[in-house]
Amino acid sequence: MSATTSRLSEKKVLASVEGLSFRYPDSQKPAVNDVSLEIGEGEVVLLAGPSGCGKSTLLRCLNGLIPHMYPGDYRGSVTVSGLRVADTPMSTLSQSVGLLFQNPENQIFMFSVERDVAFGLQNLSVPTEEMRSRVDEAMRLLGVSDLAQRAPHELSDGQKQRAALAGVMAMRPKVIILDEPTSLLDPKTALDVVSLIERLNRELGITFIVVEHRLELLIPIADRLVVMDGGSKVMDGPPREVLADPRVEGYGVSVPPVSRLYNALSKDGVRLTRVPETPEEMAEELNAL
Amino acid sequence: MYWLSGGFVFRRVVSPFHRLDPRVKLLVSVEFFVLSLLVPTVPEIALVLVAILLVAGVAKSLRRIGRTMAFSSLFAVFIFVLNYLLVPGVLNAILYSFRFLAIISSTSLFFITTSPDELEQIMKWMRVPRDVVFAFVTAVRFIPVVMLDAFQIMDAQKSRGLEFERGNLVRRVRNMVPILIPLVVNSVIRSGELAEAMESRAYGSTPKPTSLYRMRTRWYDRAVALASLLLLFVVALYIYHYVSFGV
Amino acid sequence: MEFRGVTFVHRTGVTALSDVSLTVKAGETVAIVGENGAGKTTLVRHANGLLKPTKGSVLVDGVDTRETTTAALSRKVGIAFQNPDHQLFSDSVENEVSFALRNFGFPDELVAKRLDWALNFFGLEQYRKSSPLVLSGGEKKRLTLACILAWDPEVVVLDEPTVGQDSLQKEKLAQVFRMLQSTGKTIVIVSHDVEFLWPIQPRLLVMSGGRVVADGEISKIMEDRELLEGARVTQPQLLRLYSALRSRPASPFLDVPDARAWVAGGRAGRGVG
Repeated sequence: MSATTSRLSEKKVLASVEGLSFRYPDSQKPAVNDVSLEIGEGEVVLLAGPSGCGKSTLLRCLNGLIPHMYPGDYRGSVTVSGLRVADTPMSTLSQSVGLLFQNPENQIFMFSVERDVAFGLQNLSVPTEEMRSRVDEAMRLLGVSDLAQRAPHELSDGQKQRAALAGVMAMRPKVIILDEPTSLLDPKTALDVVSLIERLNRELGITFIVVEHRLELLIPIADRLVVMDGGSKVMDGPPREVLADPRVEGYGVSVPPVSRLYNALSKDGVRLTRVPETPEEMAEELNAL
Repeated sequence: MYWLSGGFVFRRVVSPFHRLDPRVKLLVSVEFFVLSLLVPTVPEIALVLVAILLVAGVAKSLRRIGRTMAFSSLFAVFIFVLNYLLVPGVLNAILYSFRFLAIISSTSLFFITTSPDELEQIMKWMRVPRDVVFAFVTAVRFIPVVMLDAFQIMDAQKSRGLEFERGNLVRRVRNMVPILIPLVVNSVIRSGELAEAMESRAYGSTPKPTSLYRMRTRWYDRAVALASLLLLFVVALYIYHYVSFGV
Repeated sequence: MEFRGVTFVHRTGVTALSDVSLTVKAGETVAIVGENGAGKTTLVRHANGLLKPTKGSVLVDGVDTRETTTAALSRKVGIAFQNPDHQLFSDSVENEVSFALRNFGFPDELVAKRLDWALNFFGLEQYRKSSPLVLSGGEKKRLTLACILAWDPEVVVLDEPTVGQDSLQKEKLAQVFRMLQSTGKTIVIVSHDVEFLWPIQPRLLVMSGGRVVADGEISKIMEDRELLEGARVTQPQLLRLYSALRSRPASPFLDVPDARAWVAGGRAGRGVG
């Protein structure tokens, strides 16, 4: 844990979760159980865990849907950008935290892309001229400017994804949370999304929290990997470290073959100079043996 | 189904009529609607129908309006028969069935030429409450999605041995259940996801959201509006004259 | 199953399949990969007559799909679609599973037997009387598979079975797969998940732009980087590792234990460790 703390002390803390527990009203067990987490500005955090581990609940606690839209037994606190989530209305929170859900189809409400990108700004009573420039900016950043007038059912999956993300970007949040952004996409489109995230993080300093099953896609750009299981946070650290920890395979996380091989070789006593993240790195290590 | 989609779904077309301010398009459609209810004789209603077709031509939507009329003719025949039985007189029955066609076509003309964005703007201008406007626009936006869902559900159930074409009426209605339930369930799930996304983008923060677009009337909007109102006025006078003096 | 020069054009005019010809033999395991829109799902929908070719023909067990109904073909070719919410509708899990069985005219005792087997095999016995709509995502997916396998089709088609599944669920799926293979079923799997497909070593069909651009052994096809680039398909990690090694065994590693054993063997050979 000291490794994590020292890295974080270099970055300003943007979001902090302290002793968070949340239980849905019709549930016996808490969905999230005493979770504490700190997220530094500009980080890309990968959140993984088996189905039902509480990832989705945690995301909703971070953007305010819990407790504002989903009341329940809420303990502990979540603070983002200096705002206490439980005490701040969604209208204010949505300008600091953006949440992109899994299915882009159900996040595009309007009949044309640019009209949908403007949706959040309209709700915030942004004046028309400013709205125009922010919508154009968001569409440009996501590369959907030439799709401005298109209807959502005319778009491909990847385009819908970017259009929905543009709608979130227009609110100029400091942190964007993505819930399984690639699950409905084919691998190459998924890679495009990943490089998009990397670019936005690098150029604009936006902090990203991504929930993903296909870890190998996100690992190259992730600063941190957080694993959850049964409502608790069980692992947290740089991806290389977490994946090199043999416990990770026991949590129902889809560990990429290269990392599983690394753990197996470590058990056999094979010493590598570093923890490989890609097959090519692993090959380099093995070639050197 | 095709009647509905052909007759009332907006499709992007470039035409002088489409370019008009949506309020003017509404005005023209309403004028046709009113006219078709007022004109007293068959030759005149026929003229109204021709006028509608002419405007449809200007709107480059002649084929679609034609199709709407064709598909509606079934109902029109029904109305003809009903009227004939109740009030004897072929001309009278024809009048009413033509009126029906004109009403349907004028409504269809409006919806075919007005995009959901423009519909939204009109509703806002008419001070329709924010939630109603949103519900309407979202419903329209999701029509193609729900239709696609329906086809996929039918495919999945056909692959489990469900046969639609066979069976008597009772059987066929029962066969709808495996289609309707997933459709409804999916819609409910979708509503939930939409609600989350809406909240996350600050929906409801203000009762009066601002707008990306502004409706602005240009000279030709005003010209068309004025001209059509004048025309309507003249025709109304003629009808009044006709009705009063039976000429 | 045979596809002879199948071309399919949508009502909108878009050509989804262009002159596709292939034969699937009984007991084969075939995987279809390719980007979204390449025609994979369209192809698979021809297998049970949901779609009929615009040109060419599709034969299942020698019968042309245009001469019979989807219901009749589904008896032999079971397709498990991607979205469980498009299928589940009954008031109980047992009714859900027996739905297809009754549609196909199974006698009551057989329905009960197949139902018991399916619920047991997929670990759903405890939900027998529950509504399918309250199950979790993973359980719903298992349930849809149970519904299909209950009627024991000769050909099983799986449309993206691993989407959104965590590793435990994928393990269970792999088990189901092995069971199907051991009972000699013909399996067609449409999937993006090359990591899941790789250890299975199926016959691979790569589709792009409505055509089959590659058809053969997965290990050979996956080595052709240009082809994969063009079809927007990624290589499995173990194959990438294998290609980048200087000294390597005769054939690529199929799974992690394989690779581990090879490394151990190499070290033993050098007298290390």
